[in-house]
Amino acid sequence: MASPIIDASGIVKDYGAARALHGVSLQIGTGEFVALVGPSGCGKTTLLKILAGFEEPTDGRLEIQGKDMRGVPAASRPTRMVFQKLALFPHKTVAENIGFSLKLQKVSKTETDSRIRTMLDLMHLKPDYLERYPAQLSGGEQQRVALARALVSQPSVLLLDEPMSALDAKLKKSLQAELKKLHRELGTSFVLVTHDLEEAMMLADRICVMRSGHVVQVGTPADIYYRPANMFVAGFIGETNFLPVTATAATDGGMAVTSPLVVSGKTTIASEHVSPSLSAKGTALLVRPETIRFVKGDAAPGEWLLDGHVEEYFIKGASTQYRIRVQGLDAAVIMDLPGSIVLPAAVGEAVRIGFDPVQAFLLSE
Amino acid sequence: MKKGTADISSNIGAVNRRSVLKGMGGLGLGLAAAGSGFLASRRDAAAAESLNYMCWEGYNAPSILEPFQKSKDASISIDLITDSAGGFAKLAAGASREFDLVSSDSPWIQRMGPAGFCRYIDEADFADQFAEFYPQFRAPFEPLAFEGKATGLPTRWGWVGPTVNTKFDKLETWSSYAPVFDSAYKDKICLLDWGDWPIMPLALYAGVNPYEELDAAALEEVRKVLRAAFKNTRAIVADLAVAQKGLIDGSFRALIGGGTYATSALRMKGHDYIQSIVPEPKNGLKQGIIWMEATGLIDNGKNSQIEADFLKYIVSPEVAKQLAITEATCNLVPNSKAEALFSEEEKKALQMDYMWTAWDNSQFHTVAPNIDDMLAIWQEELAAR
Amino acid sequence: MRIESKSWNDPVLVATVAPLAVVMVAFFLVPLLMTAVLTFQTTQYYRLVWTWDLKIWTEVFSKPHYWTIMLRTVTMALICVVLTVLIAFPVAYALATRLKTFKTQIQILIIFAFLTDAVLKTFGWILILDKNGVANWLLMHLGFPPEMLNLLFTPTGTMIGMVYNLVAYPIFTIYLSLVRIDRDLVLAAYDAGASRFRTFFEVTLPLSRPGLYSGAVLVFVLSLGAFLEPKVLGGGTSPLASELIRQSFETRVNWPLGAALTMVLITTGALMLAACAAFALRRTATTRRPA
Repeated sequence: MASPIIDASGIVKDYGAARALHGVSLQIGTGEFVALVGPSGCGKTTLLKILAGFEEPTDGRLEIQGKDMRGVPAASRPTRMVFQKLALFPHKTVAENIGFSLKLQKVSKTETDSRIRTMLDLMHLKPDYLERYPAQLSGGEQQRVALARALVSQPSVLLLDEPMSALDAKLKKSLQAELKKLHRELGTSFVLVTHDLEEAMMLADRICVMRSGHVVQVGTPADIYYRPANMFVAGFIGETNFLPVTATAATDGGMAVTSPLVVSGKTTIASEHVSPSLSAKGTALLVRPETIRFVKGDAAPGEWLLDGHVEEYFIKGASTQYRIRVQGLDAAVIMDLPGSIVLPAAVGEAVRIGFDPVQAFLLSE
Repeated sequence: MKKGTADISSNIGAVNRRSVLKGMGGLGLGLAAAGSGFLASRRDAAAAESLNYMCWEGYNAPSILEPFQKSKDASISIDLITDSAGGFAKLAAGASREFDLVSSDSPWIQRMGPAGFCRYIDEADFADQFAEFYPQFRAPFEPLAFEGKATGLPTRWGWVGPTVNTKFDKLETWSSYAPVFDSAYKDKICLLDWGDWPIMPLALYAGVNPYEELDAAALEEVRKVLRAAFKNTRAIVADLAVAQKGLIDGSFRALIGGGTYATSALRMKGHDYIQSIVPEPKNGLKQGIIWMEATGLIDNGKNSQIEADFLKYIVSPEVAKQLAITEATCNLVPNSKAEALFSEEEKKALQMDYMWTAWDNSQFHTVAPNIDDMLAIWQEELAAR
Repeated sequence: MRIESKSWNDPVLVATVAPLAVVMVAFFLVPLLMTAVLTFQTTQYYRLVWTWDLKIWTEVFSKPHYWTIMLRTVTMALICVVLTVLIAFPVAYALATRLKTFKTQIQILIIFAFLTDAVLKTFGWILILDKNGVANWLLMHLGFPPEMLNLLFTPTGTMIGMVYNLVAYPIFTIYLSLVRIDRDLVLAAYDAGASRFRTFFEVTLPLSRPGLYSGAVLVFVLSLGAFLEPKVLGGGTSPLASELIRQSFETRVNWPLGAALTMVLITTGALMLAACAAFALRRTATTRRPA
């Protein structure tokens, strides 16, 4: 990254005795769309508030556009925020809400009007909304007004704090698409906080996964999905399977893995299928549900086989999910099969399942 | 639109001459009064006979009511008066059917005669009681008579005149009400906010006898004298304790409309440098005023013997003595036999050595024919102040 | 569901509203009507006479002193509203935003002061305001001339008592409005570039309007009925409407006059409130969520 617009290094934030951020470092490039993802309480919102200037870090250094932000109030930063509950001023009209920052900057009336019009067009809002109050708009319209209010002052960085968490699924999808389009058109840096990794993967150029005040992994959506740093990141994406294995270093950088549950024995995992932050603790193979099949006849070459019985299945339309109980594994093995009229197995039926370990991903806890 | 405390505040506000609420202590008194009424009414079920008694505070003391209730197996329910006129209006509006006895200011007992709900006193039946009274109160007692019949018996009395703190003023200074209008007494005069009481002495000073029918010219004189008095008035006080405090510390040099009712309890507590006197007659018009409380029977159709028994009881020497000396006020009683029961201290507090001098130099308080005109003038002049 | 779409034919609605309607009619409307009816009667010898004439109203409209007192009452009430709100706002603001650590303790103290009997509190002020009272004693010991303040038995004394007895109402209504303001709205204003000062006037103050208005209305209505304070602390020399009404009812036993003065006071208060409500609604109606 040539010149990051945001350069945070070693950010620590304490609330009394509780430490919310343990030395977080993150760089965000100009025009980049970065998502901060993690479960609630992971520190993602705290980090966003520090970027916005609503919170002062206990320790560490934050630069925005190369300037140290220590002691710089929110009002003087080149960032604008879209709040989780939008925080539209209920006593101001849509026009007053959008134009508020311009009024504070004493921008001329004509200039203000034209910039509000531009925003209105950009957000596909009707001009007769201008004199309405936020409470008179629908949830999606309020969302657009909140975006317009933040973008009208042409910030260098737009901070979005889970702005779509309260919307219904359909509206959410269409707004996500618009947000992505908006980012592409404006070239502004976007920082999105979300607990929804799927949303992050759809929208962001890069994703920063956080957990308990630490950054666990920063990478492109593909990195996060295909090369998760550890079981936490992999599990955060969605339901998946971890098969405990013992791993030893093999030649050509790969790893040789074995599992006591699998008779066929040792397999070598190529280095690109090995997590770069692999540790000795709790090594496991990440086996995605869609890569597992029922084995009725002969096993494919190199295929690992497990015996168990069907605990439950769910018909999801395009696919059918099976949960297979395997002796020696704590969790049921999840497999996603293409949907079919004839179910391949019934509940309680003894089955043999198999997968190709070479396609799996080796990681640790 | 009164506040949540209206029930208590109205008690304070509505107080006429007898505001005995001593600031905070008043609450306790009020509660005690309410409590005694409550206890009394609870005994209704068990008692053989019941009495409904409307009275000023003092008459409702448990030490007075309880021996009677016990000896007669009767229960007495109390309704405390906070304003004499208001109490009368309540009876006139129909409550006379509910009540058996009333103790109030004498003019209002006398008025039960023309109002038509008075159960007249049979003077022969009460001969023993009249015999014990000072000669001035014996039958036929004019102030309580209507069409030659007695409407009630006198129960407490005193006089209204200048209240002098001899630490600040000589008694002679107040041989007339002149200082009320003297600029040297500016902001040192307290009018008692007790209905007609502060108006009467000032009218007398203006040469108007307020107890007679007044013409427009006389009412104009009353207006002028009130206007002049308001110039020097520091406060119009309803609460006796506040008035007494000012009298002691000298911020009030006189309480207009007060008299023994305002000072005798102070004297009882050792403030013997405070005295109530009556001014010298002015141009042949007596300047002092005698006030009196009386107790009368109400004609409510029941008219049982026990009501008359209670009236005899309340004027008996022992009960009279209790009525005379209470925590809040001390007053004279008409029963001459009670005099022997008072200690020297109590006699001194009541200024008994002065009582007949005061009597001789005073008008007798009745309901003035033009009282409403005078009260209206009072309101107007106060608003214009 | 919009309430407007319901009608008197809806049994559930009628059943829900009926008890309240009955209570309102029985305890508010009927007494008010009785008071109104009373104004057309007269009294004679301390008894009510049913006459149905305009004698009392002629009296009320021909004597200027009644109106002097009404005007004084309204003026005092308005001054009291301004003073209580000016005092209450900073207190409520501090409670809502700054003093979070001792918030509960301070609230309990205010509630205790508020619940203590008004009679006690008002008489207590005599000890402070008297010429030889606590206030002058303190000032004297601070080097000021003796008996510097003469507040007891003056309209200022009345006002001190009224403000003290009523200030808790706007403190609580404003506090409740302030704590309901989403903290994010303040942050959003900062984010848009507003200073703290500007944020207060652009966001905090306008959004605390419901509390300000309801506090002001409470103080205004209760001030119109102020009774103890002018009598005890004002020394009765500048009587307000409720004392005038009490005198008419009790001392003069002129119920029709008292009733007429009551109607004048209620009408004056209601008209002023209606005017303020129209003004306030015009400014806030549109910010409400449509049904």
